[in-house]
Amino acid sequence: MQAARLPNPGPTTEAPQARPEPLLYLGALNKTFGPVAALSGLQASVGPGEFVTVVGPSGCGKSTLFNIVAGLEEPDAGGILRFEGKSCHAADLLGRVSFMPQRDLLFPWRNVVDNAILALEVEGMPRDQARAKALKMLPEFGLAGFEKQYPNQLSGGMRQRVALMRTFLFERDLMLLDEPFGALDALTRAMMQRWLLDVWQKYRRTILFITHDVDEAIFLGDRVLVMTARPGSVKLEQVVDLPRPRRPEIVTSPEFVRLKRTLLDAIEEESMKSFQSSIAQEKPQ
Amino acid sequence: MSRALASPSLAVQRGILGAFILVACWEGAARGLHLPAYVLPAVSDILAGLWSKRATLTDAAGYTLLEALVGYGLGCLIGIGLAVAIALVPALRTAILPLATAINSVPVVGYSPLILLWFGIGVSSKIVMVAMAVSFTILLSMLAGLDRVDRRAIDLMRSFGASRFGVLWRLRLPTALPLLLAGMRVSTVRSVIVAIVTEMLGAHGGLGWVIYQAVLQIDFVQVWAAIFVASAASLAFFGLIGFLERKILFWT
Repeated sequence: MQAARLPNPGPTTEAPQARPEPLLYLGALNKTFGPVAALSGLQASVGPGEFVTVVGPSGCGKSTLFNIVAGLEEPDAGGILRFEGKSCHAADLLGRVSFMPQRDLLFPWRNVVDNAILALEVEGMPRDQARAKALKMLPEFGLAGFEKQYPNQLSGGMRQRVALMRTFLFERDLMLLDEPFGALDALTRAMMQRWLLDVWQKYRRTILFITHDVDEAIFLGDRVLVMTARPGSVKLEQVVDLPRPRRPEIVTSPEFVRLKRTLLDAIEEESMKSFQSSIAQEKPQ
Repeated sequence: MSRALASPSLAVQRGILGAFILVACWEGAARGLHLPAYVLPAVSDILAGLWSKRATLTDAAGYTLLEALVGYGLGCLIGIGLAVAIALVPALRTAILPLATAINSVPVVGYSPLILLWFGIGVSSKIVMVAMAVSFTILLSMLAGLDRVDRRAIDLMRSFGASRFGVLWRLRLPTALPLLLAGMRVSTVRSVIVAIVTEMLGAHGGLGWVIYQAVLQIDFVQVWAAIFVASAASLAFFGLIGFLERKILFWT
């Protein structure tokens, strides 16, 4: 078990060079909104098939990072953005990354199946074909028998699974999940985490996963990125070499607790920074 | 309100009760106070007049409804078309909206002399008037509906690679439907009113024309009979669109 602690980048930052070409590489990424710097010199890479989780204090630019990788926002000029080994603009990523925002954003006028096939329809797949494909996947997402239900008839956990299914059906190598379980109660959340790992292991997609919850970040991830306070960059890159498949009780193992301690320390430091800077900003008035 | 919606039968009962009380008071006042017909004829007299003139009134109602429906359909198409054009080409907003607002800042009936001059006193002038009145309401409600879309839902569609048209078709149009249909429901009554008022200013037929003729002949029972028919036609139209609204918007 290596607990790499910045400023000593340790073995983890060497890994991208040693490994084959990463699926996604971000280097020296900046993003400013008027006077506000959201990201500053962010560097990160995600290897094929990897499950990378991102934690950080609130307002640290996680969502900005995601919007860039989803292709919704361009980073400032000068940053490096490489996808599948090729340098590209953020806009080139539109339609190439399957993105799941925080809220489920299901369309209330579409039933479960038709919500799930939204991305396939946009791609131009005939409806019948897309529906047949979705129907086969329903049991795995715990939605068998619910295909004709409308979102307002579903529980929060089920809505989230429909949204995840929509993301999965949009078959792209990289999946971006932005706090998908943030709004769920603790029990549902734990079940959804285990279930997501099962599905991930079966389909072997690459996942970049934002969360507020350190336990969730460790439990799910191969690697955890801790972000600094705004302007955001990667403060700590922590490999999680807990064995897979991970059992729920792993969260009480000494290795898990040690990892959690390391990560919490790093986050704590950054939270204090952003807290103090927000006080400092208020003072002049 | 919500309780009445929860049990429609109760709402219907109350509505019928209210109407019954109104009719009873009306009948009582007209008979008891011996009001002359030009002030307020008794409901029973109006219903009798309605029955005796049923052929004329049915023809007139058909005439007016035709104008109102065609004008309404045209107005909806124009309003929806303009709103969609603005949604697809945002620059059009500043070109279309001020002009449409300027035209509609005058009560639409103010244009009727001009419209009658340009389109004659036949059916087409009424259709144009109704279309004008309806299209503006529809344009505004459709625009409000299209603008109500969740920014994050648009981002989601874009991340799936959807074009502007794809976002419009799969997301913005369905999102706009509740407000569009509410606007369409309100416009039903407006379309009948505008058709009737324009007929009163010059027409070959229709309920407005019947009212105008009856006033000239000092036949106030017939005026009221025509008003009853017009009101029933409006209510039926309103009810029909309201019914379609509930059928279409099953998710709200």
